[in-house]
Amino acid sequence: MIRVAAVGDIHMGPESQGLLRPAFETLPDCADLLLLAGDLTRHGTPEEMDVVAREVRDLPVPVVAVLGNHDHHDGQPEKVTGILRDAGVTVLEGEGAVIDCAGTRVGVAGTKGFGGGFVGRSAGEFGEPVMKEFVRTTRRSADALCAALKDLAGRDCAARIALTHFSPVADTLAGEPLEIYPFLGSYLLAEAIDTAGADLAVHGHAHAGSEHGMTAGGVRVRNVAQPVIRRAFNVYQLALGRSGSSSVVRA
Amino acid sequence: MSDSAAPRAGAGTGENVEYRVAHLRDRLAAEELGELGVRAEVRAGAVAVTGTVPSARCRDTLLRVVGEELAGLTVHSDIVVAETARPDRAEEL
Repeated sequence: MIRVAAVGDIHMGPESQGLLRPAFETLPDCADLLLLAGDLTRHGTPEEMDVVAREVRDLPVPVVAVLGNHDHHDGQPEKVTGILRDAGVTVLEGEGAVIDCAGTRVGVAGTKGFGGGFVGRSAGEFGEPVMKEFVRTTRRSADALCAALKDLAGRDCAARIALTHFSPVADTLAGEPLEIYPFLGSYLLAEAIDTAGADLAVHGHAHAGSEHGMTAGGVRVRNVAQPVIRRAFNVYQLALGRSGSSSVVRA
Repeated sequence: MSDSAAPRAGAGTGENVEYRVAHLRDRLAAEELGELGVRAEVRAGAVAVTGTVPSARCRDTLLRVVGEELAGLTVHSDIVVAETARPDRAEEL
């Protein structure tokens, strides 16, 4: 079994220092790694990411993160990524990493992702250049996620996790206004996850959404936005040696 | 039938609760708080402001900005500060 702690959308600012650290210091008692599902800051400034970095530096469990849209707002994603990495965090964007969790190899593939909507109600790669680029941005992110998960499949991982900021499914958006679903996620991310396979998909971004969902292919999805889980983090215990829990019920 | 006291449609008076709420959202996104998913909706003649913010200071700031932008309107607010306790159980998958 691997114990996965996860939270997103912590939106730290100058006055946030120390709010989450006490809970994070208890992680070794209940989790083997911590996933941060983006929107760690409010505006993506180096000063805000410094607060996040101090909150997670030298934790006794590995920390893996993706950035969110807020972390891009100040236009310095490379710089804030560097601040997190200097604090020992593995930051993923369109790539995977194998994390050693007390001797168990856990593969995490991460990308921020982007919007576009869900099957039957999604934006198309058509018309004005800016519209085509919107959809292509999501497609590139999904393609990279798929490639990273496939790569991890060949690296002897006991479990594979997809980590995004935007949602791969509509299930976990329940509670958000339907009109904004296309800005909250894209089915392209779920298609990537189902194509390459994963044991769990974790995302944030949808503050008014709900925690539980599933891709069409049966991969469990969890929205860990802090306003949704109402905790410093949630913990998911993944049984090892089985991929998903799907079965075919015969008549 | 129309209310003779109300501005004539198309008269270009500009003042409108819907747009004031939209401008509130624009201001929240542009200033100190960022776009935190706070919802502001016109309901039965009042404005309902709901959502979760990361700290008590954010809630104070939010309510100050709401008061400035929606001065003169009835506002019902339900803003929650995010909880920072560790979970008391894990979910088995």
